[in-house]
Parts: sequence; structure tokens; C-alpha cells
Amino acid sequence: MNLLEIKGLTIHYAMRANTVHAVNNVSLVIEPGQTLGLVGETGAGKTTTARGIMRLIQTPPGKIVSGEILFEGVDLLKISSAEMRSIRGKSISMIFQDPMSALNPILTVGEQIAEVIHLHEKCSKREAEERSREMLEMVGIRPERAGEYPHQFSGGMKQRVVIAIALACSPKLLIADEPTTALDVTIQAQVLDMMRELKDKLNTSMLLITHDLGVVAETCDAVAIMYAGEIVEYGSLERLFHNPKHPYTLGLFGSIPSLDKDTDRLNPIRGLMPDPSALPKGCKFRERCDYACDECRKEEQSLREIEPGHTVRCMRVAGGVLNG
Amino acid sequence: MHGHLVKERKELDLRALENMAVKKTLWQDVLARFLKNKSGIAGFVIVVIMILLILFAPLLTRFDYDAQSFPDRFLYPSSLHPFGTDNFGRDLFTRMLYGGRISFMIAIIATFISAVIGTIFGSAAGYFGGVVDTIISRFLDIMMAIPGLLLAIAISAVLGPGPINTAFALSIGGIAMSARIIRATVMAIKTNEYIEAAKATGSRNFRIIRKHILPNTIAPLIVNSTMSIGGSIMGIAGLSFIGLGVKPPTPEWGSILNVGRDYIRDFWPMTVFPALFIMLTIFGFNLLGDALRDALDPRLKD
Repeated sequence: MNLLEIKGLTIHYAMRANTVHAVNNVSLVIEPGQTLGLVGETGAGKTTTARGIMRLIQTPPGKIVSGEILFEGVDLLKISSAEMRSIRGKSISMIFQDPMSALNPILTVGEQIAEVIHLHEKCSKREAEERSREMLEMVGIRPERAGEYPHQFSGGMKQRVVIAIALACSPKLLIADEPTTALDVTIQAQVLDMMRELKDKLNTSMLLITHDLGVVAETCDAVAIMYAGEIVEYGSLERLFHNPKHPYTLGLFGSIPSLDKDTDRLNPIRGLMPDPSALPKGCKFRERCDYACDECRKEEQSLREIEPGHTVRCMRVAGGVLNG
Repeated sequence: MHGHLVKERKELDLRALENMAVKKTLWQDVLARFLKNKSGIAGFVIVVIMILLILFAPLLTRFDYDAQSFPDRFLYPSSLHPFGTDNFGRDLFTRMLYGGRISFMIAIIATFISAVIGTIFGSAAGYFGGVVDTIISRFLDIMMAIPGLLLAIAISAVLGPGPINTAFALSIGGIAMSARIIRATVMAIKTNEYIEAAKATGSRNFRIIRKHILPNTIAPLIVNSTMSIGGSIMGIAGLSFIGLGVKPPTPEWGSILNVGRDYIRDFWPMTVFPALFIMLTIFGFNLLGDALRDALDPRLKD
């Protein structure tokens, strides 16, 4: 059975003047032990999707319009908020982007880890503290430092503490929302290595949100490329990296500077993402696409399978007009 | 690779240790900033002297505050009666000290009540927002529209004089102010990612407010309470002055002032000393409150 299966998730933010279509009809699957990379530029709806899974969308203005989020076969959108609370932090936990602000400045790191354990496991305060020390050791921080405050740690160390909090109750699913974006590059590699190691050790599945394809290549088993609230290409890591099809995916790969070639300028995708409160009809990527035709304007694009386990939301690719 | 990691970890630990040595704790920082503020220290000294005076009143004077002596009426300050005597021959210095006890006690109780109630309403409004916030905020607006002393007079008039009633009357007016301050602080803290992180660990709202939000509101609460104690002392004096606060013969600065008013042309000590004490105390609390605000929240300064 799939650990997490999202079916047709649609999330809107109803503002006073207009409605922001943040996530539109997104379907994803995560198998036990698997890591799914969710890639896209800022504003593509990655974080909203993640918050939707945790049911942490601010309502109002946010609203989950339709869809199902099946976690171990149970629809998270149908259970009570008390049941949801018992899942958060225990079965599904989340790592936030900025470790600088994800820790409470006035509680010691030990207290903050112990809090989650105390909340979900029926154990005494003592035991929780004992286990928080073990967690610190697991993420490579000396357990003696449990009594120190967040400001006494560096950024990378703080992110380790955040990871320790997230993994304290051995969750089945870890949602990591750009866990390394706020860290510098050398620390990024360390933190990613550690996350992968711990994930394998605890047999945790992971939804990794990032806009770094290099991180995806190193960490993920499957990839979903998101654009303007839709998944435009979805498949296993090998298929998608060896045979990227959607013009947007191609553009993303094309914008990564090559080590071999000497170029003066980066090669970005031209144009900007459409305003999510006024999405165009037809293909959302049309305006920036080199291969767009009149048909793209008229027809709503659907995800089509081009090879087993590899789907693309582009009629030109599916029609065989476009080939890489 | 691994050895490199270990080395890096050690370096990080070392750096943190150095930070600790330099940074000390938050409260030591606050103390250091406070000690740089001269007017703050002056305020602190005034308040501490006042508290010591009223606390050790029985040791500082040989008289009873209600021991009348007809031949000793209207004595001017002397070595025996440092502030002179009043219209019943009671030692004014003694009455000032014991009167201060009542004033401070009522002021502290009133401030405590308004801080607690204000915190409950303010944090609910700030944290939940939406309809809850609208209802509470509009209610606070209504309370703010009524002048504090007028409200206290109205409540006292209904409840009658007495220390408990006075404390209650004064606390109602203070609720709106402290609730507003807490509300604003909570709204600012709420946007921090660690609040969302706490939600993501499955904490209940009440737990998040208690564990993650309220401890962060202590600084503004301390500042507001300090100022509010000063204000309450003035309020008590005001109420007693018009006969609604503490009833004679219980000494109270405002009521001493009120009686002294009848003799203001012929006998100055009965008006000057209570007025001086009221003024000095409030001055001290305000200086202290200002300095605490600067020390606790350095961003507010300059």
C-alpha cells in the first residue's frame, strides 16, 4: 500500500478581490521508504501542498477546495482536528525552511525536543529528556548541549536540532520544506547526508521540497515538477533525469550552468510565472514556451503517460511533435 | 570525510562556548543595559526607598498612626515629629508611612488583576484573530473610550469605599491597556516560524499560547505593569481625595491631602508632604518603567 496518496488536491486562497489558485488538481504518491522530490520555482505551490498535507493552511483565506489526502489509507481531510494533532509530529512531521526562526529563542533545545516526545509518547518528563539527549547525539550534537539556547548554535547546528525534533517520534513521513536553502553550501551537503542516513535508519518516507535539481538527483527516488500549481512532469528519478520531456523541465535543466562549458551568462527561462489569481486558459506554461502553438492556447492540458511511470502535461510531447 | 566532520563539529562547539562566555544570559544583558541608564537607576532608587520606608514603618517611628493627642495639633516639623502633626495631633510621618502601605498594596493588587485579565483577553484576541479578535477589540475600544479615573469613580461609587473595592475599581480601567499591549505582542510573535513548527508537532492551541507565546510577552508586561503601578497609586490618591477610596481613620495619601486642604492657608505640612510623596512615587515608577522598556527591548530605543 502507498504510504501517502494525494488525489486531485486543489487549494485556493480567497482574497478580497480575487482568488489565488495556489494548488490545482495535484496527485502524488509516496511509497514506504521512498523519497519524492517536489521541484518548482517560488510560488509554484510546493509549500502550500506540503501545508495542505499537514492541514496547516491558514483558514481563512486558504481553503482546501477538493481532493483526498490518503495517509495509510485514511483521508486526512476527513478526520477530526484532534486526530490530526495526534498525527502531526508523530506520524508526519515537517522541517521548515529557516532554522533561525523555527526554534523558540526562550526554550533550550533539549526542552524543545523533549516537548514533542512528551506530547506523543506516553512517557515521563525524565524519559522525554533522556530521549531528547539521544536524539541530539543522533544528529551529531553533544548531548551535554541540551541545556543551551538556540542562539548558542550556528545555522547548520540549528537545522540539526530541527531535524532532531522532526524525527524524535520516528515519523513515517517527513516533509522537508527546502531544508537546506538557508544554509551555506558546505553545510548543505552535511545536513543532506545526515537526513538521508537517518531516514534510511528509521525507514521514513520523505517529501523533499526544493528548487535545487542537484539536491534532488542526490536524494530522491521520484520527482514531481510543479508549475503554477500543477504538476507538469512526474516520474522516477532515472526516467525524468535521463529523459526530461516537458519544455519547463527542459528549461530548468538548461538553466543550470555547466562545469565544462565556459559561458558568460546564465541561461534562464524567459518570462515570469503567470499570476496565480488569473491563470490563463489552456497550457499555463504557454507564454514562456518555445514550442507553443495555437492548440496549446485552446486546450486544457492533461497529464499523459509517455512511458511507464513517467507522465507529462504537454500535448506537444504526447503528440510526438516535440521530442526532447 | 568523517574526520573532517568531527573536526568541524569541534570547531562549532568551541565557537558556541566563546559565544556563551561573551553573551551570558538574556537577563544579564538586560541588567547591563539598565545599569547604563542613569534616570532609570534614579527611578529604581526612589521606588526602593519608598518600599523600604513603608515596609519598615514600625521600626522607623515610635508613634501609632491613629494615636490622637489634642495638645499636639498642628505642630510644625521638628526632631520629634519630622513631618509635624495633623489636625488631631497624629504624627504625620507615621501616617505617611502607613498610608503608603495601603496605596502600594492596592496598586499592586489592581495591576495584577488587570494584567491577568488583560493577558487572557489580549492573547486570545491576538492568537485567534478573526471574529474573536473583532469582538474583544471592539469591547476594549469601548473601555478605552471611558476615562480611567471616571470609570474608577463610577465603580467605587457603586461598590462603596474600602481597599478591596478600590483595587477592583482601578483594575477594570487597566484591563484594556494591558490587553492591547499583549494582543499586539502576541500578533507579532505568532508570525514566527517556531509557532508554526509547534503546530506541526501536534501541539494544541492552548499549549502553544502557554509554552511558546506567553513567555515571550513577559518583557512588555513588566514594563506596562511598572507604569501601571505608578498610575494606580495616583488613582487611589484621587479616589481617596474625593472620599471614595480609603475611609478615614485609615491613613492614605489622598485622604490626608484632602483633610489638609481645609488648612492649606494656615498649615502647609499636611498638604505638602502627601503631595510630595505621591509625586515622587509616581515619578520613580515612570522613570523605572521607561528604563525597563529601554533595557528589555533595545529595538524600541533610538
